[in-house]
Amino acid sequence: MTTLADPKAERALGRRRWLGRLRGGSTSRPVWRQPITVVALTILGGWLLLALLADVLAPYDPLAQSPDTYASPSGAHWFGTDSLGRDIFSRVVHGARLSIPLALAIVSLALLVGGLLGLVAGYVGRFVDEALMRLTDLVFAFPQIILAMAVTAAFGPNTRNAVLALVIVSWPVYARVIRSAVLSMRGDDYLNAARLLGVGPIRALRRDVLPNSIGPAIVLATLELGNAVLLLAALSFLGLGPRPPAAEWGSMVALGAQDLSMWWVSVFPGLAILTVVMAFNVLGDALRDRLDPRYTKGR
Amino acid sequence: MSVSPRRLLAGASALATLAVLSVSACSAGGSGGNANGTAKTLTVNTSFVLKTLDPGRVYEATGLTAVHALYDTLLTFKGSDVSKPVPALAESYQASPDAKTFTFKLRQGVTFADGSPLTADDVVFSLNRLKNIKGSPAVTVSGLTVTKTDDSTVVVASATPDPNIPVVLSMPSTAVLNSTVAKEHGARDGADAAQGDTAQQYLDTNSVGSGPYVLKSYDPSSQVVLEANPKYWGTKPQFSRVVLRNMDVQTQKLTMQRAEAAEISLDISGKLLDGLPGSLQTSGVQDTVYFLFLNADPGVSAVTSNPKFNQALRAAIDYQGIAALYGKGAAPGAGLVAPAFPGALPAGEESKRDVARAKALLTEAGLTNPTVKFTYPAITYKGVDLGTVATKVQGDAAEAGIKLELNPQPLTTFLDEMRGGKSPLGFTPQSLNYPVADSLINNMAPGQATALRSGWTVERADPAVVAAGRKVTATLDLAGRATAMQEWQRLMNASSPYLVLASNSSIVVATTDLTGADYTAAGWQVDVAAVGRK
Repeated sequence: MTTLADPKAERALGRRRWLGRLRGGSTSRPVWRQPITVVALTILGGWLLLALLADVLAPYDPLAQSPDTYASPSGAHWFGTDSLGRDIFSRVVHGARLSIPLALAIVSLALLVGGLLGLVAGYVGRFVDEALMRLTDLVFAFPQIILAMAVTAAFGPNTRNAVLALVIVSWPVYARVIRSAVLSMRGDDYLNAARLLGVGPIRALRRDVLPNSIGPAIVLATLELGNAVLLLAALSFLGLGPRPPAAEWGSMVALGAQDLSMWWVSVFPGLAILTVVMAFNVLGDALRDRLDPRYTKGR
Repeated sequence: MSVSPRRLLAGASALATLAVLSVSACSAGGSGGNANGTAKTLTVNTSFVLKTLDPGRVYEATGLTAVHALYDTLLTFKGSDVSKPVPALAESYQASPDAKTFTFKLRQGVTFADGSPLTADDVVFSLNRLKNIKGSPAVTVSGLTVTKTDDSTVVVASATPDPNIPVVLSMPSTAVLNSTVAKEHGARDGADAAQGDTAQQYLDTNSVGSGPYVLKSYDPSSQVVLEANPKYWGTKPQFSRVVLRNMDVQTQKLTMQRAEAAEISLDISGKLLDGLPGSLQTSGVQDTVYFLFLNADPGVSAVTSNPKFNQALRAAIDYQGIAALYGKGAAPGAGLVAPAFPGALPAGEESKRDVARAKALLTEAGLTNPTVKFTYPAITYKGVDLGTVATKVQGDAAEAGIKLELNPQPLTTFLDEMRGGKSPLGFTPQSLNYPVADSLINNMAPGQATALRSGWTVERADPAVVAAGRKVTATLDLAGRATAMQEWQRLMNASSPYLVLASNSSIVVATTDLTGADYTAAGWQVDVAAVGRK
């Protein structure tokens, strides 16, 4: 043990710490070998494949109307048809093309915005930190869905504004996580050493602080992916998401909810939401179990 | 231990009393305890649209149902027939040939629920109050002067000829209040009553009328309870208690599926009627039309203001298919007047689809793949999701080569945009506030308020439409007016910015033990006092 650490070595050690945990360290299986994670990954992989091959796999045009309305599930229409005679299987498959990329976009944008602001708040401290954290408090004060509804309603309901609204409601959590990670390493020797060697703040943030604080935020982002799918579907259910006639799962559930006796109209898009959200959550949980020290103790 | 016979008897009679009490408690239990068909309570389920029970201010559906049961008007409509007003407080009336003066002879011996007699003074006070407090329903009487010639005669005069005054005086807002009690609680009828009248709070929780029921309790978020008026002058209602319950429409459907007796629902319509047990009875009339409006102002849209495009869109729509979306009780669009009202276009004049003609018209107009923004309110109206209908319109138009971009808006935003007159293409339902179809002319004829929101000025309109509209207002007998209305609608269908997609029914669903549960387009939906048991 040395008390005066080699800055380079310690920095590298910090960066590798969370990657190493993913591989399971030296004691247990890697996270992607656990059965439940395998199931989640398979489901997500399946959905991604469906989304990529939607044009090939969907038997009908997802927007094409036909006189064959409210047909129950059959060989011709696996998931039945809706009130306008549209094939629900084709719509569910095409819905994956909207929901999954949009959820990824929401989470990456929120991570980007929240991450940057968290870095700045943690590194600069003082009044910048105060101001940014009060801003996050402000956003946290409202239930996510209510704030998102208000934002979308104000800007006008469409896909771009729904994504924007969900970014606005979800960035603070990343800012908080990154900020606390930055704060915990503020007095670390290698940072001090780097500063003494004349490394500027931008370079320090990029080379030293960010790589060592991004781990928990990535885990959080995986967990939040499921949440993003769900929030987007909720906005869309309320008529505040992508504009009709887009095949979006939330709006499809809303259409079916008008008359539950035609159960297939809402059940299949509902199952799509359920499987994707569950898969993201399981994956996020597995990552967290492995990376967050609070959850690895006692194993 | 010995028990004396007397004690046994006392115990037995106590038990018997208890049994009787518990049985009567069950049958008085309202909604749940109606199984034996002897209940005295009628339950009416509806999704509340209720702001006030003050007759001078009432404008919303649920309020109108209650006010109609609590108060009397000079004339009224029986059952679902809205073609001709029948006597109520007035036993007869006389119209002058110029349709400007109407003389009402009041029925003798009518008393308010508190026992005091109803006089011509009460009628004059109530109608002047309605006019002068300038609430939402005041527009119907704004041009009227009301005077009494003696204690049992009231004269209503209009500045302009208006054969519809008897219809207006059948509306719940023209109800007659006990003026003595109302004044004690702040009611005023003077020209400055808009500021001076403070009676609403009292009238929300107390009824001061002569109707078949009196108000027992008022909670605008959950329920309104009416009790039979023991001093009612007319035929006493069969149910001694009526409970209006606030309930969303899906729950209404579930409730009616299990209801056994003495229960009514007012909002189950359209596709929601599917799956209701056949043991329930329904009554409905087609009183709502759904139409598109195309902006006639070239400054807003060069496409929608093109008359050939207007015609092409009319030919592109699958009217039968749209009516099918609305479910039972709907019909393909014909004219702007819904079939429930006098002046509607007769059966057989529904608009028809002709995609080839639509394409030809587009070519004539020189438009290839025109794109139009299509704005509509993202709401469910009378059991129908307007977004579904709009998507169907989009699909139909696409087959003819017209691209519509759907633009759903929250209701308030939609109304703002509509008032602003900047939407190239919009979609809205329309129900009449009172059963006089020619009020449409005051709104939708070229140059009128609603028409101007679609940029439809007199200069941009076909002179024949303008003339046909003037002819309706100039015709003073009601039958002649209805015919003139039909002619006006045929011309409107040729060139107006309004494209009627379908008409749909409002429906009362009732348990089979009931009689008289008839839907009326008169405004109060159902006359609860006329509902009885078989």
